[in-house]
Amino acid sequence: MKIIVPVKTNPDLQMVRIKNRQPVLEAVPYILGDLDKNAVEAALQLQAEAGDTQVIALTLNQGNRKIKDTMKEALAMGADEAYIVTDDALVDTDQAGKALAIAKAIETIGGADVIIFGEGSHDGYSGQVGPRVAELLGVPEIGFARKLTPGGPGIQAERSMGDFIEVLEAPLPIVITVASEINEPRIPTLMNIMKAGKKPSTDWTLADLGLEAADVAPKNKILSNLAEEQDRKNIMLEGDVNAQVAALIDALTREGVLEA
Amino acid sequence: MEKVDVIVVGGGLAGLSAAYGLAAEGLEVILIERGDYSGAKNVTGGRLYVSPIRNMYPELWEDAPFERPVTREFITLMGEGNSTTIEFAADKFAAQPYQSYTVLRATFDLWLSEQVMEKGGMVIVKQRVDDLIKEGDKVIGIRAGEDEIGADITIIAEGVLGLVANKAGLRELPSWKDHAVGFKETLELPKEVIDNRWHLAPDEGAAHLFMGGVTKGMLGGGFLYTNKESISLGIVLGMKDAKERVDKIDIYTLLDDFKANPTIAPLVADGELVEYSAHVISEAGLSGIPQLWGDGYLMTGDAAGLALNQLYTVRGMDFAVASGYYAAQAIIEGKKQNDLDAVGPAYEKMMKESWVLKDFETAKNILHFIENPRIFSHYPNAVGRLFDRVFTLNDQPTDSIYTKVMSSVKKDFMNVTTAKELLGMRKI
Repeated sequence: MKIIVPVKTNPDLQMVRIKNRQPVLEAVPYILGDLDKNAVEAALQLQAEAGDTQVIALTLNQGNRKIKDTMKEALAMGADEAYIVTDDALVDTDQAGKALAIAKAIETIGGADVIIFGEGSHDGYSGQVGPRVAELLGVPEIGFARKLTPGGPGIQAERSMGDFIEVLEAPLPIVITVASEINEPRIPTLMNIMKAGKKPSTDWTLADLGLEAADVAPKNKILSNLAEEQDRKNIMLEGDVNAQVAALIDALTREGVLEA
Repeated sequence: MEKVDVIVVGGGLAGLSAAYGLAAEGLEVILIERGDYSGAKNVTGGRLYVSPIRNMYPELWEDAPFERPVTREFITLMGEGNSTTIEFAADKFAAQPYQSYTVLRATFDLWLSEQVMEKGGMVIVKQRVDDLIKEGDKVIGIRAGEDEIGADITIIAEGVLGLVANKAGLRELPSWKDHAVGFKETLELPKEVIDNRWHLAPDEGAAHLFMGGVTKGMLGGGFLYTNKESISLGIVLGMKDAKERVDKIDIYTLLDDFKANPTIAPLVADGELVEYSAHVISEAGLSGIPQLWGDGYLMTGDAAGLALNQLYTVRGMDFAVASGYYAAQAIIEGKKQNDLDAVGPAYEKMMKESWVLKDFETAKNILHFIENPRIFSHYPNAVGRLFDRVFTLNDQPTDSIYTKVMSSVKKDFMNVTTAKELLGMRKI
């Protein structure tokens, strides 16, 4: 079996500061998103169960200067091989452009039996790219899987529907997006980090995928991206302690913080 | 067990310096760092003296991400209700090659780790070394989680606490009494504002030290370094003094009081707090340096107690880089001669014959000298009283300038205690 995990590297959100309502991205390191790690982990667990399986991590470089290092994390977790598509045209592309580039990259790799995405990216979280890739490849898609098992005609997946759990079976090839509760991604061991440097990593540009910059030109434009501004309420409570506590409980209840 | 030439425990300046030297010579070196990246856990007050280490890796410093070269020195004595500031500028400090620069470690160490990787060294982050593996007394590698890796030589560069070395019985856990705690804020200010407040030409920097009221008379002082677009403002405080204070000061309030002081407030006004950090600093001087090597290992940087209070500055980063450099040189030579037993003694010899341990020898009496509380309370106030006298004019007939100065000098400086302290100064 061949599993391809398209992952996204994004700025470490914990390191991003907001200044004048804009994110300060200067000197912020890129990391593999948490949901992307869930996807890699899901692929590795399928590999362990199914045996004789190759796990390939694939990414589009959207301005991560050290993307090779970031992708080493996927390799250190256990992926067998990495493909990195770097092209200036990818930096400002949109979900449609990304889906096209990923679909073409999957075809160029030679297709896959299972393609696993995180349910959304760690930063933009549109959740669009997985389903779009399925559409472009003409294969079925299961979204928000919380459990995967090889079996049946190809694969079994569970989805949480709130009050009940839906179990689906699908033939291969298939695109799956996984929810964060599917697993706890492994932390790479020292030895596996050392080995990761020796695993094959291939660099492509859009031309290698038979695409031109115009093919991935964004069809929508981000007009603004501002941090939410929230004024504090600045309520001063007066009176003796008992009156203040009563007023505080009353205020919190009205805000819905406490249940009446 | 997989084996490499050298394992470096810790990716601060000492470890990175060693790894850089080794990787540049083509040795197989693995550096293991616990933080998310090199520099993530490192703290400095703010100033790296490059002059002592310039010739060690001359190619490195050209492109290093320094903040500003220090071209102006300020010292402020904070008395009760007054402060006296000395500003010193010398043409030579404002010309290349600059002797020291302000730095921010998150940027600087990360950059140095990239230089190590460019030379072929492997820097592994987010991994904690749990143990040194020993065969008898010989250190033969490290254990991290389930993984064990062997090495001809292990360089211990784990920092001031020395937990791994202590666990392996290579050094005692340092006593808190011999340490200071440093804590600082990084405050963002526009470039031009910094230039104006410290009288700087563009891209030049200032070092500003404070003693007296900043520590409420306790051993230590305040510091302020100008970065490109921020200032590092902090306090170093001897732990013994802080703990034994009768009136129990919560040390975290010192920084707020410091910032509110009328002398400091206009300097830091409108600074936006972007980072808070704190660190332990060895104040033990020469006596805090453990055995620098043993079978299979070398100790470098803070792990080897290489931090030195020289009163007008606390040095550590230049010692860290130098010890890493000498460790690398000793190993390279040992590998060439195929004589690894010679590595430890060679390292110790280089450290002793260089400025590194000589500076510790020279400064060994400073610690005793600064244990005297009068330095942090009496003198800053005495200097303030003197100038208070000189500059005060009221509706009474004024004394001659000579009388003003001499009456202050007689009262505060011409006494037996000060004479003894002056004699004591000869030793520092």
